[in-house]
Amino acid sequence: MARQKLPATAVAVSLVLLTTGEHAVAQSASELEMRLHAGSARTSGAGIASLYQNALTPSLRFENTSFTLHAGAAALSDGFAWTLGDAAIRADSRHQLSRSVRAEFAADASRIALDGYAPSQQLDITGRLHLIRERGGAWLGSGVIRPLRVATVSNASVSSGGVWTKVHDLTLRASVTTTLFTRFATNDATSDTSLRGVVTACPVNQLAAVTLEGSAPLPSSCRRESRVTDIETGLNWERRRVEVSLRGGQRFGHRLDVSRASRYWGSAQGNLWLTSQLAAVIGGGREPGQPTRGLPARSYASLGFMLAYWPIPRGTVLVESPANLVKSFELKPAGEALQRLTVRIGRVERVEVMGDFSDWAPVPLERRGRDLWELFIPMGPGMHQINMRIDGGRWIAPPGIPSIRDDFNGQVGVLVIKG
Amino acid sequence: MKHMLIRVTALVALTTSLSAQDRGADPLSRLDPSTRYSVELLLDSARHLGLPYGPIESKALEGISKRASGRDIVVAARRVFRALRDARAALGPASSSDELTAAAGALRVGITTTQLSSLAARRDGKALTVPLVVLADLVTRGVARDTASSTIFQLWQSGAADDDFLGLWRSVERDIVSGTDPGVALLNRARQIPAKGPLTAVPPTSGVRPPEDAKT
Repeated sequence: MARQKLPATAVAVSLVLLTTGEHAVAQSASELEMRLHAGSARTSGAGIASLYQNALTPSLRFENTSFTLHAGAAALSDGFAWTLGDAAIRADSRHQLSRSVRAEFAADASRIALDGYAPSQQLDITGRLHLIRERGGAWLGSGVIRPLRVATVSNASVSSGGVWTKVHDLTLRASVTTTLFTRFATNDATSDTSLRGVVTACPVNQLAAVTLEGSAPLPSSCRRESRVTDIETGLNWERRRVEVSLRGGQRFGHRLDVSRASRYWGSAQGNLWLTSQLAAVIGGGREPGQPTRGLPARSYASLGFMLAYWPIPRGTVLVESPANLVKSFELKPAGEALQRLTVRIGRVERVEVMGDFSDWAPVPLERRGRDLWELFIPMGPGMHQINMRIDGGRWIAPPGIPSIRDDFNGQVGVLVIKG
Repeated sequence: MKHMLIRVTALVALTTSLSAQDRGADPLSRLDPSTRYSVELLLDSARHLGLPYGPIESKALEGISKRASGRDIVVAARRVFRALRDARAALGPASSSDELTAAAGALRVGITTTQLSSLAARRDGKALTVPLVVLADLVTRGVARDTASSTIFQLWQSGAADDDFLGLWRSVERDIVSGTDPGVALLNRARQIPAKGPLTAVPPTSGVRPPEDAKT
């Protein structure tokens, strides 16, 4: 998807944080999330002066079962003055067509500001069919990109396909994206430096007329039908307080469309959650050029902190299927007749369990990280029954263990502890 | 770090223990007098018959915490009592409390005493708890009773261990969530478990007892 090719600035780092995996859209709760990322980034690349910038990046996301709204922007400082950097607003809509097939639509308006280049603005509209199973999925999609105030391309059409799978704490993704567009060849300052002097240049005054007035005919010698194909793989790994994202890819296309610097890319990012709402963020890598925006490839490194806040008060979160929110439910021996219960579930305020081990009195779990909850339970060998509830909601059978009817219009989980 | 963990462990365990004690030695005191009387009659009957009475008391406490009415609590406790009684008749007097509790759960989803007896006859000293828990869960998830019962029986007599049954359950659950028919999922996954012993008897598929829920 075209939205995955955001530039490698501190702003992009923050935006990537907001789309850390397919599982994010699979949850079934309404939620409002606010994040603020503060950090420094170093950006460099062919035709770009090495640049240190401080970035302050607030963002906001609202999500429910059928749509997501996301808005974010960045204030950049080079040490002397603050300026508006990247900005984006995005809406995603999801419609379940059958038990495991979903139609997804996305509209995205974004602005990217890169030092030395005119701000690039772009509209994206994409749609895709997504086959979702419990541990993986695949999608096919297409869309249209409309660059604004960029003198290098026409509208672009995008086709993409991909697969993803989850293995324990790991989410693996692979995708293929093909972008078709007409390049308006030019050798002015906004073009890819690797193409300077190679492509027949349009007369500057003629190109300006096309760009500004949109009606002047352009000589065919100024046009080039371009196609670039990106193959990208990525992974997300989460365990306790650590999140790691890796991605890399290769771009295929004619050398006039794909510069040498954009052939391969890769990046890494790590988040360490210091508290449930504060994380240290480090990232770096190389990003390919963005032909529809006329922006070149570049390298970056960034370091910062991120604050996360979920302002929807407890009790107004609409949890339709609490069990779907639970990422894991594990019980392990922690001593004689003692079990350590760990539950991974994010964005909730309270998790409780009860069962025969507590004479069916609710016992709250202790929060041990951003989404890790823990409780030591005195539980000897034998068969035990257990229920859990989230944020004071309905008692449910924990996922991942057998369950039976409880005679009170619900289910109860069954554990068998070995002697 | 290790010391901190031990302290946390001890603290939480202690807190949990104290919390349980705070509720008093008579947790049934939270029941209204009429309901309590009915439940205590069931407990006395269980003791008199030599049945484990813990599951009956546990069911009553569960009902209290789930804010069930007194009538519903008595009905649920009575079901547990009957199921325990029938389970012991099917499994035999040497059965453990856990086995009886698990068998009672299976009976309440419609597994027959005949089917339980067939499983018990092939016990060979192994505990039936896990197979019965898995059997009850599979029926609850939509696997036909006869299909579930015969499949579990085949695995049981072929020497499947507790881990095999739990692994089977996880696989079937995943398949069901992914949209596979529960019965098909069970049969497909069961075929992947290698036999560890001889297959001999024909599994029981006939039932003579309707599920508890069908009667209420």
